[in-house]
Amino acid sequence: MSADTTAKLPWFRRSYRNFSLEEKYAVLGMILIAPTVMTFCAVIAYPLIAAIYLSFFSIYTPTMEGHWVGFSNYATLLQSGEFWRSLWNNIIWTVGTLTLQILFGILVAMMLHQNMVFRSLARSLVLFPYFLSTVVAVLVWKWLFNDLYGVLNHLFMWAGVIDMPVDWLGKMPNAMLSLIFVGAWKYFPFVVIAVLARLQSIPEELYEAAKIDGAGVFARFFDVTLPQLKDVLVVIILLRTIWDFKEFDLINLMTGGGPIIATQTLSLMVYKEAFALNQMGASSAVAVLMMLVMLVFMALYLRKAKGPSE
Amino acid sequence: MSLKKKSRRVLFNLFAWSVIGLIAFPLIWMLVTSIKPQSELFLIPPTLLPSEITFEHYWRLIDETPFLTYMKNSIILALSTTAVVIVIATLGAHSLLRFSYPGRERLAQLVLFTYLLPSVVLIIPLYFLMIWIGLANSLISLVIAYTTFSLPYALWLLRSFMAAIPDDLESAALVDGATRMEAFIDVILPQALPGIISTALFTMILAWNEYLYALVLVNTDESRPLTTGVMSILITSFNIEWSLLMAASVMMSVPLIVAFVFLQKYLTRGFGAGAVKG
Amino acid sequence: MSEVHINHVYKRFGDVTAVDDLSLLFKAGEFVSVLGPSGCGKTTLLRMLAGLETPSAGEISIGDKVVNDLPPGSRDIAMVFQTYALYPHMTVRGNIEYPLKKRRTPKAERAVKVKDAAELLQLEELLDRKPRQLSGGQQQRVALGRALVRDPAVFLLDEPLSNLDAKLRAHMRAELIQLHERIGKTMVYVTHDQLEAMTMSHRIAVLRFGVLQQFASPDEVYRKPANEFVAGFIGTPSMNFIAGEIDNSDGKLTFCGGGVALSVQAGLLPDGLIADGDKFLVKMGFRPEDIFIGDQGDDALVSVVEPTGHEVIVLIDLNGNEVVARVNPDVRLKAGDKVKLRFRPDKLHFFGTKEGIRLNV
Repeated sequence: MSADTTAKLPWFRRSYRNFSLEEKYAVLGMILIAPTVMTFCAVIAYPLIAAIYLSFFSIYTPTMEGHWVGFSNYATLLQSGEFWRSLWNNIIWTVGTLTLQILFGILVAMMLHQNMVFRSLARSLVLFPYFLSTVVAVLVWKWLFNDLYGVLNHLFMWAGVIDMPVDWLGKMPNAMLSLIFVGAWKYFPFVVIAVLARLQSIPEELYEAAKIDGAGVFARFFDVTLPQLKDVLVVIILLRTIWDFKEFDLINLMTGGGPIIATQTLSLMVYKEAFALNQMGASSAVAVLMMLVMLVFMALYLRKAKGPSE
Repeated sequence: MSLKKKSRRVLFNLFAWSVIGLIAFPLIWMLVTSIKPQSELFLIPPTLLPSEITFEHYWRLIDETPFLTYMKNSIILALSTTAVVIVIATLGAHSLLRFSYPGRERLAQLVLFTYLLPSVVLIIPLYFLMIWIGLANSLISLVIAYTTFSLPYALWLLRSFMAAIPDDLESAALVDGATRMEAFIDVILPQALPGIISTALFTMILAWNEYLYALVLVNTDESRPLTTGVMSILITSFNIEWSLLMAASVMMSVPLIVAFVFLQKYLTRGFGAGAVKG
Repeated sequence: MSEVHINHVYKRFGDVTAVDDLSLLFKAGEFVSVLGPSGCGKTTLLRMLAGLETPSAGEISIGDKVVNDLPPGSRDIAMVFQTYALYPHMTVRGNIEYPLKKRRTPKAERAVKVKDAAELLQLEELLDRKPRQLSGGQQQRVALGRALVRDPAVFLLDEPLSNLDAKLRAHMRAELIQLHERIGKTMVYVTHDQLEAMTMSHRIAVLRFGVLQQFASPDEVYRKPANEFVAGFIGTPSMNFIAGEIDNSDGKLTFCGGGVALSVQAGLLPDGLIADGDKFLVKMGFRPEDIFIGDQGDDALVSVVEPTGHEVIVLIDLNGNEVVARVNPDVRLKAGDKVKLRFRPDKLHFFGTKEGIRLNV
C-alpha cells in the first residue's frame, strides 16, 4: 500500500491545487449543495429551534416582549381542556377524512382503471380538486352548504331526506362531518393517482391465473389486487396522515374551529393563541407538542421511504 | 361483442360518469353561479342552467375590488418562488445524487423530514424574523417563507426524477473530456428537463394556493396574494355576494385549468413521484 | 499508443475490497482482456483506469504519466460503456462530435473526423438520427465511433457486446479484432465471457474477488492454468477435477483417487516435489477432450448424453465422481452404457489442495 503510507497532510493544510480528484469533486458537490443548506438553515432550522426556544417564554404578540417562564406554558397546556379537546378533534378529523379518502380513492382508481369512454377527461376531472386552491374549494362548498340558498339543502329537501334546511357548518356534529367530507373530496385524488399507477403495474397474468382458478370479481379483488396494493397503501396512509394532521387552511376557512372550539385542531390552536389571544409563547408550545405527536408518523414514513429505495 | 356484454359496458359507463359528475359538480356549480344574473341567484328551486349568461360579476370584480392587484401579486409570487426554488433544488438534487462528501446521506434524510414539517411550527419565528429584518408585509417575505415548504418538496421530487438518469451518461461525458459542471449542463440538465418542468409546475401551484403564510405575514392590499385577498373581499363586503366570489374562484382556477389542458403529461408524471415512490 | 501500468492498486468500498493489490503492465498496442465472474472487480479496475473511480491506494500510469489525480478528460483514454451511454438528446453526429467539441477542435476538422469515423463504422446514413431510433448493433457502433473519433492512446471497453444477441455478438467480435489491427491502439477489454477474451486478446488477466489469478496469453491460460480457479473458469464444459493423492514409491509417482489409480508421467511434476515413500494430497484436473472412451481403462457408466452436432458431451459416472467428456459424434453412446475410460497422460493437471496452486512443471 504505497499511497496509503505516504503520509498526506490533512485537507485543510493543503491548497486546492494539491487536492486529489476525489477531494476536488467533494468540494464541488458541497458548493452545489451550499445554497440548499444555507436556505435550510435560515428558513427551516433557525425557525424550528426558535420555536422550541420561544415556547419557554411568555410573549405578548403586539409588543413582542416577553420573559422566561420555563415549562409553565407546557404545564398550563397539559392541564387545559382546550389542548386535549383540540388534539381529540385533530384525531377525529384525521381518521375520518383519511378513511373516506382511502375508500373513495381506491374505488375511483379501480373505476378509472377500467376501459371507459373519455378516460383521460375523467381522470382530469377527478384530479382537479386536489390542485384547486383550498380557498376556492372552501368558497364553493360554503356556497353549496349555504342554509338559505345552498343547493345541498334544496336537493335534500326535494328528495325528502330532510324537511328543514340544515345548518351544515354552525352546529355539531354537522360541522365536523362536513369538514371530513370536504377534506375527503379535496384530497382523495392523491390516493386515486397513487393507486392507479400501482394498478397499472399489476401484471395481467395474475388476474388471468386467478380467473382460471375460478376466482370471482370479489375474490380477485381481495386475493390479487389488495395484496399488490398493500405497500403503496401503507405509504399513502402514512403521508396522508401527516398531511391531514397538520391541515390548517381548510378547517380555518370552513369553520374557523367553530362552533366555539368544536372543530378546532392543533394547527388552529397555534394560530389562535398567537394571533387572536396574543400569546406567542403558549402558541409555540402547542406547535412543539403538535410536532412531537407528528414525529411518530414522520419517523415511520422516513423508515418506509428509505427501505425500498436502497 | 354480445348484447349482454355491450349493455354491461353501457351501464358501467353511465355509473362511472355519474360518479365523476358528482365529484365535479361543485366545480360546475361554481362556474354556473359565476355567470348567472344576480336576480337568478336566489331562485327557489335553483336553476341548473342560467336563463341568461352574464359576465357582469367578472367586470365588477375587476372594477370594484383590488382583484387585479391580488392577481398580479400571486403571479409574481408564484414565478419568483418557482425560479428561486428550481435553481437551488436542481443544483442540490444533483449534488445529493452524484457527489460524495461527508454528511450527504444525513442531508437527504433531513430534506425528507422538512418536507413533512408542519408550517404552523415555523410560522411564529418567521413572523418575528420578517419584522426584525424589516420585510413584513412585502412580497419578498412571502417568497422567503414559501421556500420553507417548496424547497424540500422540489428537492425531493427532482431527486427522484434525476435518480432515473443513468450514471453512465455523466461518466461518458467526463471521459469525453467534459468537466463535472459541463457534464451537468450538457448531459444531465437536458435529461432532467421534463422532471424540472413537472417540479416547476407543482411548485407554482403550491405557491399559487398558499394561504397560511400569506395570512400571517402580509396585511396590506398592496402585497396580498389572491388567496387571502379573495377572503378579504368576503369579509369586508357588507353582505356576502356569492356570484362575485364564484367569479373570483373561477379566475383563480384559470391557471390550473390551463396547466391541466396543456401540461397534463407533466402533472401526472410528477404527481406524488417524489412522495409515493420515495 | 501507450503503456498502462497498474502498480499495487487497491480499491475499497467501505468494508469491501473490490480490487486487492493489483499490479499489471499492459504493453503499448496490446489487446488485453480482463476476465472474471461478476463482482470480481474488473469493472472497478476499468473505471479506475478511466478516472471515474479513485484508487484507495497504489498508482496508475498511462504512457509515462501518473494519472491518479487527473480527471477522466485529461487521461487520453476513451471508453465504451456496457450500456453504450449515448446521449439521448443528441443526434448520432452530436454524440460522435461531443468529445471533439470538449477538446475545442475547430469545426471544419470536427466535420472531417466525424465523417471518417462514420465511414469506418458504416454510420453515414444514420448521422442525423437520435440514439433511440437505432438498433442495438447500431448504437454499439455509435458508442465505438464516439471513442474512436478523438484518437485516444488507450481504449477502455466495458462488456461492450453483452447487450447484443448471439449472432451480432460474433459479428462484432470479428469487427473489433479488425478495428484493433487497423488502429493498433492499446485496448483494455472487460468481459465475463471467456469466448470473447480467448478469441480477441493478446493476453488475458483473470480476476477473482479483486485478486489477480493469472495474466497470460489465451493459449497459456488454457493449457497452463495458474490455479484451480482459472482451470475451472476457462473452458466449456469446464475441467473435471478428482481429489486424491500422489504417492512416490521408488521415484515412481502414482495418483490414487476416485477409485482410479494411474501412474503420473515423468516430467509432469517437478522433481523432488514428493519425497520417496511420501504422499501428497492433490486435485487432479483434466479437460473433457482429454479423456477417451474405448475398450481399455477404468470402468464407468454413461449417465447423460448431450449431442451438440459437431461433438457429443457425455456425462459419465466414474466410481461416484461425475466426469464430463467430449467425444466424436460417430461414437454411438446412450445413457446406461458401460464404458471404459482412459486419460491422456500428458494432459493431466495437478493442483495443491491448499489455495489450488498449479503443481505441474
